[in-house]
Amino acid sequence: MRPTRPVPEHHDAGLQPERTSLAWSRTTLAMIVATAVFLRWFPKYGWFTGTLVAVALCTAVGIYITQQLRYHRAVSGIANERIHADAAAAAWVAGSVVALSALGLFAVLFLALD
Amino acid sequence: MPTSSPSPRPERGKFAAKLLRGGNEPDPRFTLANERTFLAWIRTALALVAGGIAVEAFTTEVFAPVVRTTIAVVLLVLAMAIGCGSFFRWLNIERAMRHKTPLPLPLIAPILAIGGGMVAALLLAFVLLRP
Repeated sequence: MRPTRPVPEHHDAGLQPERTSLAWSRTTLAMIVATAVFLRWFPKYGWFTGTLVAVALCTAVGIYITQQLRYHRAVSGIANERIHADAAAAAWVAGSVVALSALGLFAVLFLALD
Repeated sequence: MPTSSPSPRPERGKFAAKLLRGGNEPDPRFTLANERTFLAWIRTALALVAGGIAVEAFTTEVFAPVVRTTIAVVLLVLAMAIGCGSFFRWLNIERAMRHKTPLPLPLIAPILAIGGGMVAALLLAFVLLRP
């Protein structure tokens, strides 16, 4: 992603903003890998697979486009020695994982064809 | 730590303000560390979702339908529990840090260990008892 705002600086030797940003990137990657696995359900469950793919991709894209904002917030948090815990982001990501497993359970239990 | 231009402090969202009442904002490093730990749990839950789906999608010729469905269901239920539990663990840690109380024990760790052990035992039984 090309920075649209000047990248802020911080003096955290532990590189906390970078590590947190990378943890979010890994989560995005995991979502995309999971999406690839979901696609294997297409021959069996047809268009129902689309709901799983949609949830996972929406979350992956959502994380990706808010990465810069989150990094900037972490940097200013380190600079101000105060950061607001991002409850909405945590609830959103956890909610989509719960939704994915619920959709998967529904398919396995009620849509199985054999 | 000094910095060239400290940005203005953004206000807390309504949702966060409602969930995290009272106490003081902890060291930002702790908040970020809590977020990373939460994300590690989320990736674990995602791996369990993908695992459950993969068992159901790839093992049609390997397992009997009942074994396959059982393993997929256990993995998906486990994913749901870890996904849900990771959020509440994140929240409880954040609350404990705001109020400077001891951090709670991770309930999701034994759930994951027992669930993973159950799936492994199921697989082992299947492999040993296969005619």
